[in-house]
This record gives sequence, structure tokens and C-alpha cells, in this order.
Amino acid sequence: MGRIRRLTTVLGTSALILGTLTVSVASTTVSASAATKFKACVVTDTGGINDRSFNQSAYAGAKDAAKSDSNIVPSYLSSGSSNDYTPNINTFIGEKCGIIITVGFLMDPATAKAANAHPSQKFAIVDDAPVVKAGTHVEALQYETDQAGFLGGILAAGMSKTGTVATYGGENFSAVTLYENGFVAGVRYYDKTYGKTVKVLGWTPPKTACSLAACPGKGTFVNSFTNATLGKQITLGDYSNGADIVFPVAGSVGLGSVAAAKQDGAGHYVMWVDSNGCISDATDCKYFVGTVAKGVEPSVEAAILSAAKGTFKAGSYVGTLKNDGTGLELGGIKVPSKLKGEIATAKAGIIAGTISVNPNKW
Amino acid sequence: MNDIPARRRSILSLWMTLTSQNPVIVTILALVLGFVVGAFIIIFTTATILDAFRGFFNSWGAPGHALKVTFDNVGAAYRDMFTGSVIDPAGFWHSLTTGKGWDNTLTPISETLTYATPLVIVSIGVGISFQTGLFNIGANGQAVLGGVAGAVIGSMIKLPMFIHLPLTLIAGILGGALAGALPGVLKAYTGAHEVIVTIMENYVIYAFLLYVVLSTPYQQPGQANDIGRTIHASAQLPPLFGVASGLRVSYGIFVAAGVVAFAWWFLERSSLGFDFRVTGASPSAARASGISPRAVIILVFLISGGLAGLAGVVQVASTTHYVDGTFLIGDAGIGFTAITVALLGRNKPIGILWASLLFGALGVGGRAMQAATGIPFDLATVIQSVVVLFVATPVLVKEIFRLRAGRTQALQLGTQGWG
Repeated sequence: MGRIRRLTTVLGTSALILGTLTVSVASTTVSASAATKFKACVVTDTGGINDRSFNQSAYAGAKDAAKSDSNIVPSYLSSGSSNDYTPNINTFIGEKCGIIITVGFLMDPATAKAANAHPSQKFAIVDDAPVVKAGTHVEALQYETDQAGFLGGILAAGMSKTGTVATYGGENFSAVTLYENGFVAGVRYYDKTYGKTVKVLGWTPPKTACSLAACPGKGTFVNSFTNATLGKQITLGDYSNGADIVFPVAGSVGLGSVAAAKQDGAGHYVMWVDSNGCISDATDCKYFVGTVAKGVEPSVEAAILSAAKGTFKAGSYVGTLKNDGTGLELGGIKVPSKLKGEIATAKAGIIAGTISVNPNKW
Repeated sequence: MNDIPARRRSILSLWMTLTSQNPVIVTILALVLGFVVGAFIIIFTTATILDAFRGFFNSWGAPGHALKVTFDNVGAAYRDMFTGSVIDPAGFWHSLTTGKGWDNTLTPISETLTYATPLVIVSIGVGISFQTGLFNIGANGQAVLGGVAGAVIGSMIKLPMFIHLPLTLIAGILGGALAGALPGVLKAYTGAHEVIVTIMENYVIYAFLLYVVLSTPYQQPGQANDIGRTIHASAQLPPLFGVASGLRVSYGIFVAAGVVAFAWWFLERSSLGFDFRVTGASPSAARASGISPRAVIILVFLISGGLAGLAGVVQVASTTHYVDGTFLIGDAGIGFTAITVALLGRNKPIGILWASLLFGALGVGGRAMQAATGIPFDLATVIQSVVVLFVATPVLVKEIFRLRAGRTQALQLGTQGWG
């Protein structure tokens, strides 16, 4: 008992001393380090920086920028819910960040508001083009992912043994459905051009080109970018309905699809989205047919470097197949060279403008 | 003792108080322990500190260097936590002497108050149920339903502000009370255990939230994802210093202050509050003295749920102004945080007020710390948890700091359920 008493005394005393020292140091040290550094600050959406998808890519872009310019310090804050968007952005404005990257369409209002209130603050937003006042410094990073989705559709249709492929989305808004439109268009193009009858489950694009509000299109949506359990359920359902390749456009929810492919075993695959699955989730590479990639990482890096160098331009960047802002990456399973050739033909056609990625054209 | 001069005697009695096991002292010491544990976590997870310690025996100067690196890093983390959540002394001095930049200077404290405002309201609701010996674990769901009800009233009808805003807040209270009534009635008439019912209720209400924000009448026009309409300006709790200031602290703090005052009066002065406390302390004594347990159970859940609903609607009306599929989900689930806040505040309104401010400051400060130093936000959560852990086990604090046994009654956490 005596020894325990002594031990607790020592512990308590050292705790007090350490506590006092910490507090006194805390109140005296002066911050000198970050003064001359250029801070590149990323506000992620609810997926967080380990979503194996576009939030992770955005932060990777910031880290890449730091690698090529040692004066850049990357930093991030994750949003737990939409209630965190504004405080996270405000915290970074308070930290005097050189540029703030907001990730995702859902951050549109919060980013626009902050940009209007702080016109000199540089922003870049992934997947969205907010409406802001003149004189603000916002670069909109957008990607024509229907072009890469089209190639993904061809790959999936060509690789499918069952003649059925499926897709589902995180939320029903254009940044997501653009992929799916392209994917469906690619499958339809493949069917028409090569006389096949591959079906797509999970997304029916709107019949006519009109605004999203008037004709939103019908499909399967998780209403989350984090709920992998739901992603697994949906994917298992797709597999049991005869699909053998599923294309989740839902960030980290797609990890649920990978889990479903593992569970159902041989012959069940996933088409990954945003960042090359064989790199961001390398251990699961053998389940990926390919990745419909979005060049978030290089475009975020470019935006940060331009801001650090002083060549930053407000406005918009559009990633296409032509400038490698979007593209198809192959996965861990072997693709016949004939199909590779067909994909290359389609890619050339899209870049040349002779092949339309509008699903209603096919 | 008589020959000791009065002055010395008062100092002595102050010392006796400070070294005895009274609730305030225990809480403050728990906070100190929380920061000490946090400091060790920073030390063991920061590469630069570990590198400095790796060369501890390499040279005569190495130990001193290692300690300096440690204090620099830990100090920077806690300094950023403080300046990010309360005030930056340098900025305050600058504003005070030049009269400029008050917006930036007041932002940290404004953020802390913004975070704490709905938290104190929902925590008091939870605290009242705990004081009655009932576990309302469904405060989050009740807050969600309150927020949805308020947001629907706030966005779908148009009225002048002096009617619209109160109506919106009342809709929130009613929504929360409705969600609270369900487990209350089930408990009172069927004996269904309130913990199970309220936990499951959270999931049901979350599914209902998704249904509402995806349904045409309420869904934001022009969008197909899970987001509701933005509430009209006439139903919003405006920022205290105007929109132009950029400070988010809103008139909601007066609602919170009103709730604290009401709860204090209700529990300490009203006869119904007395019935509640007696029921919590001894259900059999309450029955014997003619208090109807059924009425108490239902009333407690109505009040607790109503306050949770008010917290939800205050959150919507003062910050986001819309409800979406992530409303009060995950880390943002103030109804779950409220359980720990109520425990920390010993279920007393004033205690809960301080506990909410502490949690607000740690949450906001943790964010600032991560932005400035890269030490993950989760450290703030660890500190919160450790503080609650030590407050819940006062014996541990008493032993570590060798406090005298308190003259005050043993710490009551009100955690015993109904027999």
C-alpha cells in the first residue's frame, strides 16, 4: 500500500509539474516557423483524407506540391458533416493559408460565401464552379468525367461475362451522374458498334438534355459518401441480379463494393472511381477491372503551385481526356488486346469530337 | 485554533478547500490530467520529438535539446488550442490599442460560443432526464426531428420575423417533444426499457430525416440529392454582431441562457422539478409520497425531448440554415456528446453550462491546433474523454493528488436507473 501511495505521489507531482511547465511554455513561446511558409490548406468533405478517392487525391495533390516546392506546407481539416464546412474554411482563413482547397460540390455555398467575404483569399474548389462576385480569387476545378466514364463503359461491357454491369452513386447531383451518363453511353456505344447486348443496372440517364431539376434521371444512390455498409448491400444485390462488374461513384462507399466482390468470389469485379484503385487501394488491385480516373491530384497540385508562384488565375480549369484531366486506368485483371484497341479507338474519337459521350446519342 | 489570527485562518480554510475532494477541484484536476495525457500522446506520436529523444545519450546537450523540442511542440499544440478557441493575446492587444481587427480577435471565442450554444441546450435536456433517473440516449434523434420540424416551418411558410422566428423555435420544441413522448409513453405504460427504445429511435429518425430531405415538397429545388430548403431570413437567428462582422455567434446564446435559467428554476425551485428529483433519488419514496411515476416519466421525456428539439432548431436557425442528410450525424451528433457533457456537469444546469463551454473550446481549439500544427483533431476528443473518465472516477483523482476526503456529500452522477 505504501509503495502505491508513493507511486501515486510521484505520478501526481510529475503530472502537476509537467502540466505547469506546459502551460507556462504554451503562454511564452512565440510562433516563428510558419511566418514565411506558404500554407496549402485542404478542407475535405465527409469522406476524409483516407477515402481512397477524391478527398485523398486532393490532399495528395497538396503533398505533391510540397514535394516540388519545399516552401509549401500542406495542411488539412476533415468535415464531419455539412455543419463543419464554414468553420473549417474560417479556421484556415485565420491561419492565413496561401490557398484553400475545398473538395466537392457540397461545399459550394460555404466556399462562395467565404470567397465573397474574403476577396483576396485564394480558393480552389474541386468538382464545382461556385457563383462568386467579381474580384474574388476562386479557381473552379472541373472534369469532364463522362469522357473517361465512356471508356470505362466500353471496358466494363467488353469484360463482362454475364452481359450485365451495374453502377450506383453517392448522391444524385451532376458531379456524380456525369460519370454515370458517360458509363451508360460507353456501354450503349459498345453494344451498337460491336453488336452486343450488355445491360446497365442502377442508372437511367434523362431522355432529353434539360436541367437536372426538370428531369433528374433515375438510379440507385446511397445518399452518403462514407457508408460502406450500404455500398456492400447494393453491390451484393447487383451481383445477385446478374451483374459481374459494378461501378460505384461514391468515394469511400465503394470500399463496400470491394468487400462484396471479395465475398462473392471469382468473377465479381469493381470499376473504381477518381484515383487509380491499384495505387490508392493497392491490396485490392485484383478486384479492379479499371479506374475511371479524375485528375484531382495533378490539378490541385497545379493550382497550389501557381498560387505559391504568384501566377494564380481565378476562373476555371476543365480536365478532359485531351489534357489528361480525366482518363481510364486499367486494373489488376488482364484485358484482351482487341478490347484495348477498341478503347483506344473510342478515346481518339472522343478527343477528335467524332464520338459523342451523350448517352441519348447511342 | 483560537490563537490563529483571522487572516491566517481564512488562508488555511482556503487551503483545506483546495486540497479536499470537492467536485469543482476534482473537475479542474481531471482537466489537468486530461492535458497531461494529451501531452504524452503528442510526445509519442510526433516524429520530431521522438527523433530528438532517439539521440538522448549522444551528447551532453542532447537531453536538454530533447526536452526543448518536447516543450516547443507540446506547447505549440496547446497554445494553438487556446488561441484558436478563446483569444489570441497578441491579436487582442493589437485590437485594444489600435481599435482594428476586432472581427479576427473575437472569432475564436465566437466559434466556441457557436459550438456550445446548441450543446448546452441539449445537454440540459439530457441532464434533467438523468436527474430523474431516466436515461434518454435518444437526444440526438430528438434534436434531428426538432431541427427538421423547425426547418420545414422556417422554409416553407413566409411570415414577419416576430411571428416566424418564435414559431420556428416552437416547431423545433414540439418536434423534439413528439420524439421524446414516444419512449416516455412506452416506458410508462408498457415498461419498455427507455435505453433500448431511445437508442433505436435515433436510427428511425435518421431514416425519416433522409425521407424528408429527399421528398419533393421540402427538398431544395433544383437539386436531386439529400438537401432541404434554406430557411427564410425571417426564421433565422441572426448573428449577434451582424452578418458583415463574419462572427457566427448568434442570438441563439440568449435562447441557451434562457434554457439554463429555466432549468435552474425548474429543478431547484418548482414543485414539479422537486418531484422529478425525488423520483430520481428514490422511486419508492416518490411513490409513497403520492407522486405518479407515470406522469413523471412522460413529463420528463417531453421536457428532455423538447429541449433536444430546441437545440436542433437553434443549430439550424443560427449556423447552416438548412438541413441535409449529414445533419447531426457522426462527429456532429451533439445529442451523444450531450451525455458526456451532462455527466461532466453533474446534471446541474450551471455545471452543464461550464462543461459545454469546455467541450466547445476543446472542439474549436482542436480544429485550430490541427490547422496550425498538423496534430490531429482527435487529440481534443481524447482530452474530452480523459476528463470525463476522471470525473466519473473521483477516487482516482483523489488518490493521484492525495486529496482529503470531502466534507461534501459523495459525488452523485445520477447514473442509477429505475429499479
